[in-house]
Amino acid sequence: MQLYSPMSTTPKRKAFRAPPLAGLDGLRIGILENGKLNADEMLREVAQLFVERHGCTVRTVASKKNASAPAPAPTLVQLAQEVDFLITGLGD
Amino acid sequence: MSAVKPRIHEAPDDLLAAIDWCYEQGWTDGLPVVPPAVERVKAMLAAETRPAETVIAHHPATGLDLSLHAAAANAVMAGCLPEYFPVIVAAFEAMDRTEFNFHGSTASTGGSAPLIIVSGPLADEIGMNSDVNLFGPGNRANGTIGRAVRLILRNVFQMLPGISDKSTQGNPGKYSFCIAERARGNPWPLLCEAHGYAKGTSSVTVFAGGGFANVENHGGNKPEEILISVADTMANYGCITLGQSVVILAPEHMKIVADAGWSREKVQDFLFATARRSVEGMKGAGKYRDREYDAQHGEGASALAVAGFMHRGLRPDDILVTMGGGDAGGHSCFIPSWSRGRSSIMQHNAIAAPPAGAKQ
Repeated sequence: MQLYSPMSTTPKRKAFRAPPLAGLDGLRIGILENGKLNADEMLREVAQLFVERHGCTVRTVASKKNASAPAPAPTLVQLAQEVDFLITGLGD
Repeated sequence: MSAVKPRIHEAPDDLLAAIDWCYEQGWTDGLPVVPPAVERVKAMLAAETRPAETVIAHHPATGLDLSLHAAAANAVMAGCLPEYFPVIVAAFEAMDRTEFNFHGSTASTGGSAPLIIVSGPLADEIGMNSDVNLFGPGNRANGTIGRAVRLILRNVFQMLPGISDKSTQGNPGKYSFCIAERARGNPWPLLCEAHGYAKGTSSVTVFAGGGFANVENHGGNKPEEILISVADTMANYGCITLGQSVVILAPEHMKIVADAGWSREKVQDFLFATARRSVEGMKGAGKYRDREYDAQHGEGASALAVAGFMHRGLRPDDILVTMGGGDAGGHSCFIPSWSRGRSSIMQHNAIAAPPAGAKQ
């Protein structure tokens, strides 16, 4: 019996990991928080550890209006230009 | 990125063995599926005028597309007849809109399921149930259209429990959650008419439903008595959020409401005004979050909170109300939105008539 696959016919996307940072000292941090309760506070706490230990600076804090939707492309493009690395995660 | 050709698998010729083979591929919702045999999928596609490779929905997180072809394969697996296919297509085209956010609503711990409401003459034409045991089993069209939606989410968009579907508890509607709006004896404009579609055009409404709450009232004989029971269910501390609502009034309840001259809009106004909790009460339950009013939902929400109350939704028309179910019984229902807020907004869409000559 010949059966059609019920899967998507979209070709698999090629995904690459970003190259690791050579070091952390003095780098610019971005924060992307998801708008849920405590997200902002938790991520700022994490960023503060990098500030204290590595002399990083928090340059940009971006928020998502919809926690469950991907971040808008303009937000990601802007963050990529302004910071060396991004901290994000789920608050709740 | 152009799509690759649909893959054809060689499965055992024995039907039972082929069903087992589909299980082994991970293609099922836990129940047996109809093997998506090539000829059956082609017959399903005959209910559409567009090429099989036409993309009708796109998953924003994974980049996966839903083609008519893949939709048809899953519709076959769910047990659909070809005449049901336009409903599935219209439903996914509606869910594909950004406002519906079908990634979030299917991935979230909230565990919602897309509720599909079919309105208009097509519901009768394809034999859907809008009557007794509305949300229960027994009707092929209701059962398999809803199941096809779930199989597509699973097989095409890879919303797999425990991996990309993180529902804490899920809900039974994740097997199938599809009803027809009851036209017989309905005193109000049908949803397809209220939404402005041309006469004779049927429509589908999609709503990320977070569960099902029965509303029992056999003693009330006035609209206010019936509707306060509905509103109280909508506003219980476990359910109340700024999200939208679906209310399906049982015919007994609808008769009480309509015989008193209440329109859909008057019912929506009453439910919105009554389904509320005080800000202080919400704080006492640990559910008041000022950020939800200000940052995420704008001035309208904030104004409600300033006035001292959190309502179910932001506006009366956030509450979809219509009629469904059997003639006997004071049992209506309320279906809450997914999770806590307005991350998914219900959508509606016209259902295209199948092409002439398509199997009916």
